[in-house]
Amino acid sequence: MKKLIIISFLILTWANTVLAAGNQYQLQVAGLACPFCAYGIEKKLSSIKGVENTQVDVASGVVIVTMAEGVELKEKAAREKVKKAGFSLRSFSRK
Amino acid sequence: MATLQQLKTSSQPMRVLSFVSLSIIGMSNQAHSAPITFNTALPVAEDEYLVREQLIVNQSGNDPGVTDRDRTAKAAVSVLGYGVNHKLAIFAVLPYQNIDLKVTVGGKRITRSASGFGDLTIFGRYTWIQRDMMGSNFRVAPFAGIKAPTGKDNERDSLGLLPPAVQVGSGSWDPLAGVVMTYQTLAYQLDSQFSYQIKNEANGFEAGDVARFDASLQYRLLPREFTGGLPDFLYGVVEVNLVNQQKNRINGNTEPDSGGTRLFLTPGIQYVTKRWIGEAALQIPVVQNLNGTALENDYIGRLSVRFNF
Repeated sequence: MKKLIIISFLILTWANTVLAAGNQYQLQVAGLACPFCAYGIEKKLSSIKGVENTQVDVASGVVIVTMAEGVELKEKAAREKVKKAGFSLRSFSRK
Repeated sequence: MATLQQLKTSSQPMRVLSFVSLSIIGMSNQAHSAPITFNTALPVAEDEYLVREQLIVNQSGNDPGVTDRDRTAKAAVSVLGYGVNHKLAIFAVLPYQNIDLKVTVGGKRITRSASGFGDLTIFGRYTWIQRDMMGSNFRVAPFAGIKAPTGKDNERDSLGLLPPAVQVGSGSWDPLAGVVMTYQTLAYQLDSQFSYQIKNEANGFEAGDVARFDASLQYRLLPREFTGGLPDFLYGVVEVNLVNQQKNRINGNTEPDSGGTRLFLTPGIQYVTKRWIGEAALQIPVVQNLNGTALENDYIGRLSVRFNF
């Protein structure tokens, strides 16, 4: 019984980690070069339904977008929002 | 020696006022790291607002003439920017001004002054060229607009109608146009702008048209190295402002003691965060090649904050 509980716990932990990581997207934004510019990108991306969090790394131009569980971020929507912020989406991938 | 009648109608310091007006119009109004004394080509996000509040003190004096003119213009300038789309942005600029002109007349020192909201300027800027690279970008954006005569231009005091140099409004509709270029990297930013404003006649007075060229270098001092995320930036700023104004016209006649060229060297500092920018700059005149007995600028000081909404 003890063995079963431990295995179940490990499986649940693994599944949770995989699912959480799978709900993050990595966007490479070209043209981003100062913290103030980043605000517009964060705000536009956050307006997409299901976005829970955005994190910008200004030095690399990488934006990590975390979606709510079970919600997918479409590349077309992300590209459109980055464009509306005045910048260009260079690459899009699921983490 | 100047008489009271001359003082009532004098427009000599008008060139200073015109310069102040153009400084306000040409000022930076973006919520990015940007020049302090003029515009930038960086974008305003679609359907988003930016606000800038700026305090400007423009001091002129050292008058070689017998009237010993001394002029102080203080302005609190509000700027609202709106992104129509990712290419087109519209800006509104409204100054609240307090202007004092001290002169010696008949051995007596007098002050003529006015205060109130000045002329509203509205202009649009369109991003014509946009090149986005990783960690840098390049943009060219022409702009055009008009200054509306919303400020009072008929203020009086006990001596009569105030001269144009003391009025907070010009009374004229003055169109302006120009182009601004920006190259921004993580380490530094370069901006340059050329603009031209046509000054029209009002109340028998027509200030000279103003052409100006500005350039700015903003160099990141802090952080020295990136450790991830969105750190605040501290920029050291150096700008140059070259301003040429044509001669004024009074009742159709050219005023010989008006117009000329000024070159300012402008050191400044700028603190940039994700939501706001704080900045200060001092415009120091290094060349003033003015016509006749012009009143020279001593300095122009600027303090400003910008907010992203």
